[in-house]
Amino acid sequence: MSLEGKLALVTGGGRGIGRAIALKLASQGADIIIDFFRRRDTAEQTAKDIEALGVKAEVVRANVGDPAKIDEMFDMIGNKFGRLDILISNAASGVGRPIMDIDVKAWEWTMDINARACLLCAQRAAKLMEGRGGKIVSISSLGSRFALPNYTIVGVSKAALEALTRYLAIELAPQGICVNAVAASAVETEALKFYFKEGLVKDNRQATPAGRMVIPEDVADVVAFLCSEEAFMIRGQTIIVDGGTSVGLFALAGKENNEHG
Amino acid sequence: MTIEEQIRDIVAKITRVDKSIITRESTFKEIKADSLDVVQALVAVEETFGIEIPDEEAQQFKNFGDFVSYVENHVTQTEKV
Ligand SMILES: NC(=O)c1ccc[n+]([C@@H]2O[C@H](COP(=O)([O-])OP(=O)(O)OC[C@H]3O[C@@H](n4cnc5c(N)ncnc54)[C@H](OP(=O)(O)O)[C@@H]3O)[C@@H](O)[C@H]2O)c1
Repeated sequence: MSLEGKLALVTGGGRGIGRAIALKLASQGADIIIDFFRRRDTAEQTAKDIEALGVKAEVVRANVGDPAKIDEMFDMIGNKFGRLDILISNAASGVGRPIMDIDVKAWEWTMDINARACLLCAQRAAKLMEGRGGKIVSISSLGSRFALPNYTIVGVSKAALEALTRYLAIELAPQGICVNAVAASAVETEALKFYFKEGLVKDNRQATPAGRMVIPEDVADVVAFLCSEEAFMIRGQTIIVDGGTSVGLFALAGKENNEHG
Repeated sequence: MTIEEQIRDIVAKITRVDKSIITRESTFKEIKADSLDVVQALVAVEETFGIEIPDEEAQQFKNFGDFVSYVENHVTQTEKV
Protein backbone atom coordinates (compact mmCIF):
# COMPACT_ATOMS: atom_id res chain seq x y z
CA MET A 1 0.00 0.00 0.00
CA SER A 2 1.42 3.35 -0.97
CA LEU A 3 -0.04 6.82 -0.73
CA GLU A 4 2.92 8.54 -2.31
CA GLY A 5 2.04 11.88 -3.85
CA LYS A 6 -1.40 11.96 -2.20
CA LEU A 7 -2.64 14.88 -0.14
CA ALA A 8 -4.72 14.15 2.96
CA LEU A 9 -6.66 16.43 5.30
CA VAL A 10 -7.19 15.08 8.82
CA THR A 11 -9.61 17.14 10.93
CA GLY A 12 -8.61 17.08 14.59
CA GLY A 13 -5.32 15.56 13.44
CA GLY A 14 -3.15 17.09 16.16
CA ARG A 15 -3.71 14.55 18.87
CA GLY A 16 -5.31 11.26 19.84
CA ILE A 17 -6.70 9.07 17.09
CA GLY A 18 -6.39 11.84 14.48
CA ARG A 19 -2.68 12.12 15.17
CA ALA A 20 -2.22 8.35 14.77
CA ILE A 21 -4.11 8.48 11.46
CA ALA A 22 -2.04 11.43 10.23
CA LEU A 23 1.21 9.65 11.10
CA LYS A 24 0.06 6.40 9.49
CA LEU A 25 -0.93 8.09 6.20
CA ALA A 26 2.34 10.04 6.27
CA SER A 27 4.32 6.83 6.81
CA GLN A 28 2.79 5.60 3.56
CA GLY A 29 3.96 8.68 1.72
CA ALA A 30 1.00 11.08 1.87
CA ASP A 31 1.45 14.80 2.53
CA ILE A 32 -0.77 15.84 5.42
CA ILE A 33 -2.85 18.86 6.34
CA ILE A 34 -3.71 18.88 10.03
CA ASP A 35 -6.70 20.85 11.18
CA PHE A 36 -6.94 21.74 14.86
CA PHE A 37 -9.28 23.78 17.03
CA ARG A 38 -7.78 24.71 20.40
CA ARG A 39 -4.36 23.09 20.69
CA ARG A 40 -1.95 24.69 18.27
CA ASP A 41 1.19 23.47 20.06
CA THR A 42 0.09 19.85 19.89
CA ALA A 43 -0.85 20.16 16.21
CA GLU A 44 2.49 21.78 15.38
CA GLN A 45 4.34 19.00 17.21
CA THR A 46 2.44 16.41 15.18
CA ALA A 47 3.33 18.32 11.99
CA LYS A 48 7.01 18.13 12.97
CA ASP A 49 6.73 14.40 13.61
CA ILE A 50 5.13 14.02 10.19
CA GLU A 51 7.86 16.00 8.44
CA ALA A 52 10.42 13.75 10.12
CA LEU A 53 8.92 10.94 8.03
CA GLY A 54 10.00 12.78 4.88
CA VAL A 55 6.64 14.16 3.72
CA LYS A 56 5.10 17.62 3.88
CA ALA A 57 2.86 18.78 6.71
CA GLU A 58 0.66 21.84 6.98
CA VAL A 59 -1.26 23.05 10.03
CA VAL A 60 -4.57 24.90 9.72
CA ARG A 61 -6.86 26.16 12.44
CA ALA A 62 -10.56 25.64 11.77
CA ASN A 63 -13.47 25.04 14.10
CA VAL A 64 -15.39 22.58 11.96
CA GLY A 65 -18.54 23.43 13.88
CA ASP A 66 -18.52 26.77 12.04
CA PRO A 67 -19.38 26.54 8.30
CA ALA A 68 -17.49 29.78 7.56
CA LYS A 69 -14.32 28.28 9.06
CA ILE A 70 -14.73 25.13 6.99
CA ASP A 71 -15.00 27.33 3.89
CA GLU A 72 -11.87 29.27 4.84
CA MET A 73 -9.95 26.03 5.37
CA PHE A 74 -10.95 24.61 2.00
CA ASP A 75 -10.32 27.95 0.27
CA MET A 76 -6.79 27.78 1.66
CA ILE A 77 -6.35 24.18 0.46
CA GLY A 78 -7.76 25.07 -2.95
CA ASN A 79 -5.51 28.10 -3.36
CA LYS A 80 -2.37 26.49 -2.04
CA PHE A 81 -2.65 22.93 -3.40
CA GLY A 82 -5.55 22.99 -5.89
CA ARG A 83 -6.48 19.41 -5.01
CA LEU A 84 -7.21 16.91 -2.23
CA ASP A 85 -7.02 13.12 -2.37
CA ILE A 86 -8.09 12.03 1.11
CA LEU A 87 -10.44 13.54 3.70
CA ILE A 88 -10.48 12.09 7.20
CA SER A 89 -13.36 13.52 9.27
CA ASN A 90 -12.04 12.74 12.72
CA ALA A 91 -12.68 15.89 14.78
CA ALA A 92 -15.37 15.46 17.38
CA SER A 93 -16.64 17.12 20.49
CA GLY A 94 -19.54 16.53 22.78
CA VAL A 95 -21.14 16.96 26.11
CA GLY A 96 -21.66 13.93 28.31
CA ARG A 97 -25.04 14.36 29.95
CA PRO A 98 -28.04 12.33 31.03
CA ILE A 99 -30.97 12.75 28.64
CA MET A 100 -32.97 15.01 30.94
CA ASP A 101 -30.08 17.51 31.06
CA ILE A 102 -29.62 17.80 27.30
CA ASP A 103 -30.45 21.25 25.98
CA VAL A 104 -30.55 22.79 22.52
CA LYS A 105 -27.12 24.35 22.93
CA ALA A 106 -25.39 21.05 23.76
CA TRP A 107 -27.29 19.26 20.98
CA GLU A 108 -26.42 21.82 18.31
CA TRP A 109 -22.77 22.09 19.37
CA THR A 110 -22.28 18.34 19.14
CA MET A 111 -24.28 17.84 15.95
CA ASP A 112 -22.58 20.74 14.19
CA ILE A 113 -19.08 19.43 14.90
CA ASN A 114 -19.66 15.68 14.70
CA ALA A 115 -22.23 15.36 11.93
CA ARG A 116 -22.85 18.55 9.93
CA ALA A 117 -19.11 19.13 9.52
CA CYS A 118 -18.77 15.73 7.83
CA LEU A 119 -21.29 16.79 5.20
CA LEU A 120 -19.82 20.26 4.65
CA CYS A 121 -16.23 18.96 4.50
CA ALA A 122 -17.25 16.16 2.12
CA GLN A 123 -18.96 18.67 -0.21
CA ARG A 124 -15.89 20.89 -0.35
CA ALA A 125 -13.49 17.94 -0.56
CA ALA A 126 -15.44 16.35 -3.43
CA LYS A 127 -14.88 19.49 -5.50
CA LEU A 128 -11.13 19.29 -4.91
CA MET A 129 -11.24 15.59 -5.86
CA GLU A 130 -12.97 16.29 -9.19
CA GLY A 131 -11.42 14.44 -12.08
CA ARG A 132 -9.03 12.50 -9.84
CA GLY A 133 -11.23 10.52 -7.42
CA GLY A 134 -10.54 10.27 -3.74
CA LYS A 135 -11.22 8.69 -0.36
CA ILE A 136 -13.34 9.94 2.49
CA VAL A 137 -13.22 8.20 5.86
CA SER A 138 -15.10 9.41 8.94
CA ILE A 139 -14.50 8.28 12.50
CA SER A 140 -17.45 6.97 14.46
CA SER A 141 -17.95 5.11 17.71
CA LEU A 142 -19.92 2.16 19.05
CA GLY A 143 -22.26 4.69 20.67
CA SER A 144 -23.95 5.07 17.27
CA ARG A 145 -25.66 1.71 17.71
CA PHE A 146 -25.37 0.88 21.42
CA ALA A 147 -26.65 2.98 24.29
CA LEU A 148 -23.84 4.10 26.59
CA PRO A 149 -24.40 6.13 29.77
CA ASN A 150 -24.40 9.93 29.23
CA TYR A 151 -23.43 9.42 25.59
CA THR A 152 -26.79 10.21 23.95
CA ILE A 153 -25.88 13.33 21.96
CA VAL A 154 -22.56 11.99 20.73
CA GLY A 155 -24.10 8.60 19.95
CA VAL A 156 -26.86 10.22 17.90
CA SER A 157 -24.36 12.43 16.07
CA LYS A 158 -22.33 9.33 15.18
CA ALA A 159 -25.46 7.56 13.92
CA ALA A 160 -26.02 10.56 11.63
CA LEU A 161 -22.40 10.36 10.49
CA GLU A 162 -22.76 6.67 9.62
CA ALA A 163 -25.99 7.26 7.68
CA LEU A 164 -24.35 10.17 5.88
CA THR A 165 -21.46 7.86 5.00
CA ARG A 166 -23.87 5.56 3.13
CA TYR A 167 -25.49 8.42 1.20
CA LEU A 168 -22.15 10.00 0.31
CA ALA A 169 -20.84 6.61 -0.83
CA ILE A 170 -23.65 6.32 -3.37
CA GLU A 171 -23.80 9.90 -4.58
CA LEU A 172 -20.05 10.43 -4.86
CA ALA A 173 -19.32 7.03 -6.40
CA PRO A 174 -19.66 8.32 -10.00
CA GLN A 175 -16.81 10.74 -9.25
CA GLY A 176 -14.56 7.89 -8.16
CA ILE A 177 -14.77 8.81 -4.50
CA CYS A 178 -14.86 5.95 -1.96
CA VAL A 179 -16.61 6.83 1.29
CA ASN A 180 -16.52 4.75 4.48
CA ALA A 181 -16.43 5.07 8.25
CA VAL A 182 -14.50 3.39 11.06
CA ALA A 183 -16.21 2.95 14.43
CA ALA A 184 -14.15 2.22 17.50
CA SER A 185 -14.99 1.13 21.02
CA ALA A 186 -13.20 2.97 23.86
CA VAL A 187 -9.73 3.83 22.61
CA GLU A 188 -6.78 4.44 24.91
CA THR A 189 -6.24 8.19 24.49
CA GLU A 190 -5.51 11.11 26.76
CA ALA A 191 -9.25 11.80 27.01
CA LEU A 192 -10.00 8.26 28.05
CA LYS A 193 -7.38 8.30 30.81
CA PHE A 194 -9.19 11.31 32.21
CA TYR A 195 -12.52 9.48 32.05
CA PHE A 196 -11.01 6.47 33.84
CA LYS A 197 -9.78 8.73 36.59
CA GLU A 198 -13.16 10.39 36.93
CA GLY A 199 -14.82 6.96 36.96
CA LEU A 200 -16.90 7.80 33.86
CA VAL A 201 -15.58 4.85 31.85
CA LYS A 202 -14.53 1.47 33.14
CA ASP A 203 -11.43 -0.33 32.01
CA ASN A 204 -13.00 -2.63 29.41
CA ARG A 205 -10.16 -5.09 28.79
CA GLN A 206 -12.22 -7.74 30.57
CA ALA A 207 -15.01 -7.27 28.01
CA THR A 208 -12.71 -7.34 24.99
CA PRO A 209 -12.19 -10.78 23.42
CA ALA A 210 -8.95 -9.57 21.85
CA GLY A 211 -7.61 -9.20 25.39
CA ARG A 212 -6.46 -5.61 25.31
CA MET A 213 -7.88 -2.17 24.73
CA VAL A 214 -8.05 -0.58 21.30
CA ILE A 215 -5.20 1.86 20.71
CA PRO A 216 -5.22 4.78 18.23
CA GLU A 217 -2.92 2.86 15.86
CA ASP A 218 -5.53 0.06 15.53
CA VAL A 219 -7.97 2.62 14.15
CA ALA A 220 -5.31 4.27 11.97
CA ASP A 221 -4.40 0.94 10.34
CA VAL A 222 -7.99 0.36 9.22
CA VAL A 223 -8.34 3.95 8.00
CA ALA A 224 -5.16 3.56 5.95
CA PHE A 225 -6.51 0.37 4.41
CA LEU A 226 -9.75 2.14 3.45
CA CYS A 227 -7.60 4.82 1.78
CA SER A 228 -5.80 2.22 -0.31
CA GLU A 229 -6.74 0.89 -3.75
CA GLU A 230 -7.17 -2.57 -2.19
CA ALA A 231 -10.33 -1.26 -0.50
CA PHE A 232 -11.84 0.00 -3.78
CA MET A 233 -14.92 -2.22 -3.54
CA ILE A 234 -15.77 -1.30 0.07
CA ARG A 235 -18.35 1.50 -0.07
CA GLY A 236 -20.57 3.16 2.50
CA GLN A 237 -19.54 0.77 5.26
CA THR A 238 -18.80 1.36 8.90
CA ILE A 239 -15.98 -0.95 9.92
CA ILE A 240 -15.95 -1.73 13.62
CA VAL A 241 -12.63 -1.82 15.45
CA ASP A 242 -13.37 -3.08 18.95
CA GLY A 243 -11.42 -6.27 19.51
CA GLY A 244 -14.68 -8.21 19.26
CA THR A 245 -16.48 -6.50 22.14
CA SER A 246 -19.70 -5.84 20.25
CA VAL A 247 -20.20 -9.33 18.82
CA GLY A 248 -20.18 -11.12 22.17
CA LEU A 249 -21.52 -10.57 25.63
CA PHE A 250 -18.14 -11.06 27.24
CA ALA A 251 -18.87 -8.58 29.96
CA LEU A 252 -21.68 -10.82 31.17
CA ALA A 253 -19.66 -14.03 31.08
CA GLY A 254 -17.35 -15.34 33.81
CA LYS A 255 -13.84 -13.97 33.95
CA GLU A 256 -12.29 -17.34 33.07
CA ASN A 257 -13.94 -17.13 29.63
CA ASN A 258 -11.70 -14.27 28.69
CA GLU A 259 -8.32 -15.56 29.75
CA HIS A 260 -5.65 -15.69 27.13
CA GLY A 261 -2.70 -17.84 28.13
CA MET B 1 -17.04 49.81 25.85
CA THR B 2 -13.93 48.52 27.57
CA ILE B 3 -12.51 45.08 26.82
CA GLU B 4 -13.74 43.91 30.22
CA GLU B 5 -17.29 45.08 29.52
CA GLN B 6 -17.34 43.42 26.13
CA ILE B 7 -16.14 40.10 27.57
CA ARG B 8 -18.66 40.36 30.42
CA ASP B 9 -21.47 40.79 27.87
CA ILE B 10 -20.29 37.77 25.89
CA VAL B 11 -19.98 35.54 28.96
CA ALA B 12 -23.33 36.67 30.40
CA LYS B 13 -25.07 35.95 27.11
CA ILE B 14 -23.59 32.46 26.84
CA THR B 15 -24.16 31.43 30.46
CA ARG B 16 -27.48 33.32 30.67
CA VAL B 17 -26.60 34.90 34.01
CA ASP B 18 -27.16 38.53 34.93
CA LYS B 19 -23.97 40.35 34.06
CA SER B 20 -24.01 42.26 37.35
CA ILE B 21 -22.96 39.09 39.19
CA ILE B 22 -19.82 38.68 37.05
CA THR B 23 -16.87 40.31 38.80
CA ARG B 24 -13.16 39.93 38.17
CA GLU B 25 -13.03 37.55 41.12
CA SER B 26 -15.86 35.29 39.88
CA THR B 27 -14.81 31.75 39.04
CA PHE B 28 -16.38 30.01 36.04
CA LYS B 29 -18.17 27.76 38.50
CA GLU B 30 -19.72 30.75 40.25
CA ILE B 31 -20.93 32.08 36.89
CA LYS B 32 -22.40 28.60 36.31
CA ALA B 33 -20.30 28.13 33.19
CA ASP B 34 -19.83 24.47 32.26
CA SER B 35 -17.06 23.29 29.95
CA LEU B 36 -19.17 23.95 26.85
CA ASP B 37 -19.95 27.51 28.00
CA VAL B 38 -16.24 28.13 28.54
CA VAL B 39 -15.28 26.93 25.06
CA GLN B 40 -18.06 28.96 23.47
CA ALA B 41 -17.00 32.04 25.42
CA LEU B 42 -13.38 31.55 24.33
CA VAL B 43 -14.43 31.19 20.68
CA ALA B 44 -16.68 34.26 20.83
CA VAL B 45 -13.99 36.37 22.49
CA GLU B 46 -11.36 35.19 19.99
CA GLU B 47 -13.60 36.26 17.13
CA THR B 48 -14.53 39.59 18.68
CA PHE B 49 -10.91 40.59 19.28
CA GLY B 50 -9.24 38.72 16.43
CA ILE B 51 -6.89 36.82 18.73
CA GLU B 52 -6.12 33.18 19.47
CA ILE B 53 -6.25 31.95 23.07
CA PRO B 54 -4.39 28.64 23.26
CA ASP B 55 -6.01 25.96 25.42
CA GLU B 56 -2.84 25.70 27.46
CA GLU B 57 -3.30 29.35 28.51
CA ALA B 58 -7.07 29.15 28.98
CA GLN B 59 -6.67 26.26 31.38
CA GLN B 60 -4.70 28.56 33.68
CA PHE B 61 -7.55 31.05 34.07
CA LYS B 62 -8.70 30.86 37.69
CA ASN B 63 -11.42 33.48 37.36
CA PHE B 64 -13.07 35.98 35.04
CA GLY B 65 -10.33 38.52 35.82
CA ASP B 66 -7.61 36.19 34.50
CA PHE B 67 -9.58 35.78 31.29
CA VAL B 68 -9.96 39.56 30.88
CA SER B 69 -6.30 40.26 31.71
CA TYR B 70 -5.14 37.74 29.12
CA VAL B 71 -7.23 39.40 26.43
CA GLU B 72 -6.20 42.91 27.51
CA ASN B 73 -2.52 41.99 27.35
CA HIS B 74 -2.89 40.19 24.08
CA VAL B 75 -4.93 42.84 22.30
CA THR B 76 -2.51 45.59 23.35
CA GLN B 77 0.42 43.46 22.30
CA THR B 78 -0.99 42.91 18.82
CA GLU B 79 -1.81 46.58 18.49
CA LYS B 80 1.75 47.54 19.43
CA VAL B 81 3.23 45.28 16.75
N1 LIG C 1 -11.22 7.97 22.33
C1 LIG C 1 -12.18 7.08 22.18
O1 LIG C 1 -12.40 6.26 23.05
C2 LIG C 1 -12.99 7.03 20.92
C3 LIG C 1 -13.79 5.91 20.70
C4 LIG C 1 -14.53 5.84 19.53
C5 LIG C 1 -14.49 6.86 18.61
N2 LIG C 1 -13.73 7.95 18.85
C6 LIG C 1 -13.74 9.00 17.83
O2 LIG C 1 -12.45 9.20 17.30
C7 LIG C 1 -12.26 10.54 16.93
C8 LIG C 1 -11.05 11.11 17.63
O3 LIG C 1 -11.21 10.91 19.01
P1 LIG C 1 -10.05 11.19 20.08
O4 LIG C 1 -10.39 10.40 21.30
O5 LIG C 1 -8.73 11.04 19.45
O6 LIG C 1 -10.39 12.70 20.36
P2 LIG C 1 -9.78 13.72 21.41
O7 LIG C 1 -8.55 13.18 22.01
O8 LIG C 1 -10.92 14.11 22.27
O9 LIG C 1 -9.44 14.89 20.41
C9 LIG C 1 -10.43 15.53 19.68
C10 LIG C 1 -9.80 16.06 18.41
O10 LIG C 1 -10.81 16.74 17.67
C11 LIG C 1 -10.42 18.09 17.51
N3 LIG C 1 -11.60 18.94 17.59
C12 LIG C 1 -12.55 18.98 18.56
N4 LIG C 1 -13.49 19.88 18.26
C13 LIG C 1 -13.13 20.42 17.07
C14 LIG C 1 -13.68 21.43 16.23
N5 LIG C 1 -14.80 22.06 16.57
N6 LIG C 1 -13.04 21.74 15.08
C15 LIG C 1 -11.90 21.10 14.73
N7 LIG C 1 -11.32 20.16 15.49
C16 LIG C 1 -11.93 19.82 16.64
C17 LIG C 1 -9.45 18.38 18.63
O11 LIG C 1 -8.61 19.47 18.27
P3 LIG C 1 -7.68 20.26 19.37
O12 LIG C 1 -6.57 19.32 19.67
O13 LIG C 1 -7.20 21.48 18.69
O14 LIG C 1 -8.54 20.53 20.54
C18 LIG C 1 -8.71 17.06 18.71
O15 LIG C 1 -7.73 16.96 17.72
C19 LIG C 1 -13.56 11.26 17.28
O16 LIG C 1 -14.39 11.31 16.15
C20 LIG C 1 -14.15 10.36 18.34
O17 LIG C 1 -15.55 10.49 18.44
C21 LIG C 1 -12.98 8.06 19.97
